[in-house]
Parts: sequence; C-alpha cells; structure tokens
Amino acid sequence: MSQKTVIPFGPQHPVLPEPLHLDLVVEDEKVVEAIPQIGFVHRGLEKLTETRDYNQFIYVVERICGICSFGHSYGYAQTVESLMGVEIPQRAEYLRAIWHELSRVHSHILWLGLAADAFGYESLFMHCWRLRERVLTLFEKTTGGRVIFSAVKVGGVVRDIDKSMFEEIITTLDGIKDEYAQIRKTFLNDSSVRNRLEGVGYISTEDALALSMVGPFVRASNVALDQRLLGNGAYACLNDFQTITDNGGDCYARAKVRSAEVLQSIDMIKEFIDKIPEGDIAVPVKGNAPVGEASNSLEQPRGECYYYARGNDSKFLERFRIRTPTSVNLAGMVKALEGCDLADVSNIILTIDPCISCTER
Amino acid sequence: MAMIHEMNVIALADLPALSDAKKAAGSRFVQLHAVTVDDNVFDIVYSWMEDNVMKNYKIENVTPEMTVPSITNNFLAAFVFENEAHDLFGINIEGIAIDFKGHFYNMSVTTPMAVISPAQKEARQKAAKIAAAKAAKEGKGAAAPADDLEAKLAGMDPEKAAKVRAAMEAKAKKAAAAAQKEGE
Repeated sequence: MSQKTVIPFGPQHPVLPEPLHLDLVVEDEKVVEAIPQIGFVHRGLEKLTETRDYNQFIYVVERICGICSFGHSYGYAQTVESLMGVEIPQRAEYLRAIWHELSRVHSHILWLGLAADAFGYESLFMHCWRLRERVLTLFEKTTGGRVIFSAVKVGGVVRDIDKSMFEEIITTLDGIKDEYAQIRKTFLNDSSVRNRLEGVGYISTEDALALSMVGPFVRASNVALDQRLLGNGAYACLNDFQTITDNGGDCYARAKVRSAEVLQSIDMIKEFIDKIPEGDIAVPVKGNAPVGEASNSLEQPRGECYYYARGNDSKFLERFRIRTPTSVNLAGMVKALEGCDLADVSNIILTIDPCISCTER
Repeated sequence: MAMIHEMNVIALADLPALSDAKKAAGSRFVQLHAVTVDDNVFDIVYSWMEDNVMKNYKIENVTPEMTVPSITNNFLAAFVFENEAHDLFGINIEGIAIDFKGHFYNMSVTTPMAVISPAQKEARQKAAKIAAAKAAKEGKGAAAPADDLEAKLAGMDPEKAAKVRAAMEAKAKKAAAAAQKEGE
C-alpha cells in the first residue's frame, strides 16, 4: 500500500496569479484529497460600509477586483436601487449591459491567455493579450478608465456613449471576433491541449448541482444556469439568448464553454447597441437608504454573484455582502481535484478560473 | 421571467429541518452570511434559489454563545461561508465538513466584523432617533409645529441641537419681555 503525502500547492505558484493554497494529499501521483485555503489577502472591504455612505461605497466595490470591477459596481448599484425603490432609465440599463458584456469578453480572453501561457504557448498568450488590449482601449475611450471605470452610480450611469463611438465598438468587436475565432480554433484543436484537458477533472451534472457550482464551471457539466436568462435590465431585450453548455464535464468542456462565451457576448453587445433607446442616463437619488433588506444576483464572467444590502434609514448601509462565484465554486474545485494526477492540478484550477481577489474582498 | 427575491424569518432550531427540506427539493444553495445587529449579536441569512426565486431565510439575534448547526452535510459549498462566519464574526458553527477551526482567514484581528464601528453606531442611533420621532409624529396625527421641530432636533448633532434650543429659548424670552413691555 502506498504512503499518503501532503504536498502544499500555492499560495505562490507559477499558474496562480493570485494566492490560493491547497493541501494536496497524494498517493503516489494521484491526488486523493484537496483542502483549499484562502485568506491571504483579505481586505475587509465589506466592513467599509460603516464609514462610506452608499454613494461613496460604489468606488470601494469596484476595487474589489481588477477583472470583475465593472460587474461589482453594476451589482452593487442594482442592489441599492432595489433597496431604495429606484427605477433607472432604460438607456442606462443598456449602457450597463454593454460595459458588462465587454468585461466578460476581456475576462475570458485574459483567461485564455493565461491558459495558453500555462501550456507554454507564449505566442498564443501574446495574441490573447493583444486582443484584450483592444477591449481595454474601448473601455478607456468610453469611460476614461482601463481597469476601474467609475461609470456606474446609484441611479444610472455617469457617462453616455455617442453614435460614432458605438460604430467604433462594433468595428473593433468585428475585428476581434474574426481573430479570436481563429485563436480559439487553434487552441481547442491542438493535440497537446486535448490530451491534457479531455477527461481531466470530471464533474457530473448531478455533482455540479449538488455542489452548488456556478458560471462556465457548471455550464460545462450540462447545467443551463445563467442569471442573464432571467432577463433583468437590458437582457430582457435579447431575442434568442441561449446559455452555452457542454455535456463533457471535464477541463476541455470548460475551456470550450468559456471560450465560446466570448463570441456570444460580442453578438450580445451588437444587439444591445442596435436596440439601445434614446433618453436620460440617470435619475437623481437622494435621501437615506431606508430600513429594509434587498438581495440581487448578477452573472459575472465567472458565474452568479450574490449581493445583499441592509439599510437603516441613514446614508450608511448597515451591511453589504458579496458572495462571489469563486467562493461557491471551491467545493466543486475540491471534487474536481479528487483522483486526478498531480500534474493535472494546475490545469484543473485554471479551467475553473478562480478569482481570489473577489473571493477575499 | 424576472427574478424574485424573498426574505423569510426562521428560528435557529428550524435550520436543520429547512436544510433537509431544501436538499430534498433539489434547491440550489446560494450562500449564507452574517449581519452584525449589535456588538456580538448577529442575524444569519441563508439563501437558496428555486427556479427564478431567490429565497432568503433569516435567523435573528444569534450570539457567540449559541451553537449553529452546519448545513455542510447537505450542501458542501457552505463550508466556505460557515468558516467565514466563524472567523469574521465569531459565530459558533458546529459540524462543518471542512473546518479550519479559526484559520480560514489569516488576520491580525480576531472576529473583526463582530464589533460595530463608532461611526456606524452613531449613524444607527441617529437613524433610530429619527425613526422614533417620526413614529411619535405619526401617532399624534397632524403634528404641532413644536413637535415637528423636536423631531428635527432629535435627528441633529446633539451639540448643534443644544445651540438651537438655547437660541430659541433666548428668542422666546426676548419676545415675552417685549410683550410685557407693551402691556405696561
């Protein structure tokens, strides 16, 4: 009988851009158990609601993570608006959805670049970065920021996008789409990629549901779970939105789902631009956050993100809570790692695409 | 199909039965979190998703002395949040499937979320005073101007309120003296 050994993985590891620690219990080369640990960069941002009023706090929320920055400000604003009974103009809903989907495009392209880098495909990594750069330029032109946009406020958005800029967005996205489709095909058809991802880190549909997984992680196990399906805000206008799923359940299925979502988001943005109504971009929001509670959920690039706010008739929220997709995917990650080869651990983690910065808050 | 968010209140003793029922119904566990309502007094909110309904269940006034049963026997994903509630709030949760025993978050301060900051306490007290004044005003029906002013003063900074009161008293005295002089 082979001996069990505990191998520490992270928090500093070449495939991990953020600190996540795993105690891998291995027998020979097989992982029999994985115990995750976070908490290395906990910043206590939720506690700051006590000293920042609900308008100021949006600037804290968008600093939770550099990749999901826009999504957090979007989710926060929606939650506070729900608490205060504020209805924002339709144009603001569309603008928020356009920026949110652009964030998904840049997040998923960033992920593909990191995955390519982990495989040693530096050229592919550079190509992904080059494409992502064009999306960041669109952010810069429309919001003034590349990472932190400060484009959302409680009651709407702070900036509009004019017609010529919309045309530029469409032209840029068409260019990205063609090149990205080529890169995606190259990556997914590569024999090394297939050999290392197919059949690795398998999660069945039943396990995916039982482990409360979200995002592309659960959709790759053939579960059509996507908050955008509920049609909140501008998503209600989408004609034929269908969640991308795959029944593979393995790392390769996750790579396929996540990479296909880029193309879907590009189509979605074009549909939003086509249908965006004229009008105001914000309504004035005054007064205190009333006594009460509101919860909200939003489909972030990594999956469903839950928001909760409690007001006490003052400018300060009594509590603001964010449950990020990665935190609820940790149980699925533990399951995916059970029984895998030690050499596959990094690929499994990469295809789950954990965001520790969001999770730590 | 718009999303619906529900908020329900349950007793701590009902949590295991609720967890079992949710598991049996195939509900998707979303999250749990704690809310500090007073120093070392918490509400715990559990959330499950059923179709397009986000069902939140709140257990009120939980203290660190109470034992909260873990729901990780039914929903393993809850281990992250239960460890978090223990480490950040000091809530005593028993039977967590992956229990870090207070070492999930590495922090220099123990249970930092268990205590309310002075700024928040002040805001809450002020909000409570305003709410009480509003309730009193509504109770009396059409309020007299003096009551209205008292309600406003209750919501003000105490130092500023004292200054306003002193100024009004001085004004009232002056008016009374003027009326007396006119009478003479």
